[in-house]
Amino acid sequence: MPTLLLAVILCGCAKEPEPSQPQADTQMRIISMAPNLTEILFVLGVDDEIVGVTKYSTYPPQAKEITSIGTFWQPDIEAVLMCKPTLVLTLGFEQQTTLAHRLEKIGCETQSLDIESISGLYEALSVIGSKVNKSEQAQKLVSAIQNKQKELTDRYASSDKIKVLWVVQRQPLRVAGTKTFANELIEIAGGINAISDTINVYPPIGNEEFIGSMPDVIIEPSMDSEQIQTQKATAREFYQRFSVVPAVANDRIYVIDGDLASRLGPRLAEAMQKVADCLRPEGEE
Amino acid sequence: MTLTPQKLVLRSILAGVVLLGVMAACVWIGSQDVSLADVLKGPGVEGSPNIQYIIFMQERLPRICLAAIVGAALACAGVVFQAILRNPLADPYILGVSSGAGLGSIVAVLFSGTVIYGRIAGHFSWIAEATGMSSLMIMAFVGAMLTVWLVWVIGRVTGRTHVTGLLLAGVVVNAFFSALIMFLLSIARARQLQSTMFWLMGHMMLPENPLMVWFSGGVVLLGIVCLLMLGNSLNILSFGSDDAQSLGVPVKRTCFLAFGCAALITSVAVSLSGLIGFVGLVVPHAVRLVVGPDHRLLIPLSAIAGASFLVVADTIARVIIAPAILPVGVITALVGGPFFLILLIRYTKNIQWGPA
Repeated sequence: MPTLLLAVILCGCAKEPEPSQPQADTQMRIISMAPNLTEILFVLGVDDEIVGVTKYSTYPPQAKEITSIGTFWQPDIEAVLMCKPTLVLTLGFEQQTTLAHRLEKIGCETQSLDIESISGLYEALSVIGSKVNKSEQAQKLVSAIQNKQKELTDRYASSDKIKVLWVVQRQPLRVAGTKTFANELIEIAGGINAISDTINVYPPIGNEEFIGSMPDVIIEPSMDSEQIQTQKATAREFYQRFSVVPAVANDRIYVIDGDLASRLGPRLAEAMQKVADCLRPEGEE
Repeated sequence: MTLTPQKLVLRSILAGVVLLGVMAACVWIGSQDVSLADVLKGPGVEGSPNIQYIIFMQERLPRICLAAIVGAALACAGVVFQAILRNPLADPYILGVSSGAGLGSIVAVLFSGTVIYGRIAGHFSWIAEATGMSSLMIMAFVGAMLTVWLVWVIGRVTGRTHVTGLLLAGVVVNAFFSALIMFLLSIARARQLQSTMFWLMGHMMLPENPLMVWFSGGVVLLGIVCLLMLGNSLNILSFGSDDAQSLGVPVKRTCFLAFGCAALITSVAVSLSGLIGFVGLVVPHAVRLVVGPDHRLLIPLSAIAGASFLVVADTIARVIIAPAILPVGVITALVGGPFFLILLIRYTKNIQWGPA
């Protein structure tokens, strides 16, 4: 038993330099179950209170030093318990809600967040803000992103819509459909998704549909931050066979940081700007 | 045996005409509207290309041909495996092709970003450049051939009860490699998983170089012709290898040749399309139910029927949830199962089960 206790303490205190025991009441012990939740916690300034994050929580860099509790689709409940959390933030999908229920039964507080759209993110930010007593910061962040959204929406409201294909995977081609937040990003930047409604959220499409959709711009979120360069290098080669597509003919294929563009997190304003830059490179209206 | 060459040729031509009819019909079905008039306008001039023509010539027509090639290869290989293994449950994947190819493709997807893989792949990049095939296709082909070779060697070691040994070796190697696949999938990242799952459910992949479609077609055709020439030996072999031996059939050589050809065309098919189930199992049985168990007829007709079936299945997969596509393996299983059961009920009265 003593060794177990020691392990718990070591595990929990990996980052904090000797926290004094009495602080335990005020100091929260938070576990984030997804990379974007980790980013939110850091931005709200509660980094000292995060005791566990999921694998691939790569941003900000400090997040990599925090104890890993498994991947976000296969979290390890024992690792979660070892961190002695007082609050576990989860996303609203099967594996995570199941885990949340089990944690609740054990007596650990959880908060499930549905972050599937931009409005969902705003809501989640204020919920997390109040949970960790940082409502003011959360509100500031929300209005900063909202301002960016309004600025871009207003700027491109009357300009011609640019047809965009958001390619998440090449083999087979898989793109972001109309019910994704990538679609929201495209529309904010004055674009329109080249793919119409489908039953899939991220539909796999055939080459025929790819050509037929005639996108003006192709945006590829990279697998992760490190792979942008490799992906850029292979993009030209991969798309050359579709040279009738305007985006390919005019060399308008953009690989953007997937950690930025595929996560609904606090850096969303940056992502919005990035997508807008891809659609209108010289700031043309 | 009352099969005359005239009868054989006549029936094959008849079936071939049906296949061409199916292909001619399916080529006008797709997510994009393309009419004959559009295609006849030609490729268009520089600056304003004719999109319909390009879609038709570069994507749809090659894909239909590809489906026909794969379907023919799988159905034909199915017939042969059922014959040499004397087992009605045999399909082209039974001797490890599926798991070997699966392992190869997953390695290609998972490790494509790593330095070591890049260095090794760099040595072989000339293959990719010459053939226009992606590393996934090449790895799938190599994986399939290596696994079949492994199974063959193990089967040989087991000696006299050749067929049983081969079958068991195949099943166990399949199971073991499937376990490896499961392991790799469980450590894969979500997005890599998507790509691999689609492959495992069967998905037509056009090689970048259109010549590759014709080359694969040529290899498959050659394989089918070789198997056709073994047709009579396969007929005799289905009485059992001892009887065949005493009737003057070189059992070992026939088995080896048939096995090699079938494995080769299956590997080609798998590297082009992933794992499409059901075609190699259902089509041979369906054809056998209709025309009887003579391999000289069974092999060409199965090839043609398999080709037609997969062309139709792939067309459905392309358009049923347009603009998205379904993995074609889903369609072959959904359509193939009930279709086979109907045939089974209608024709079972006077049928001899399997080639055994």
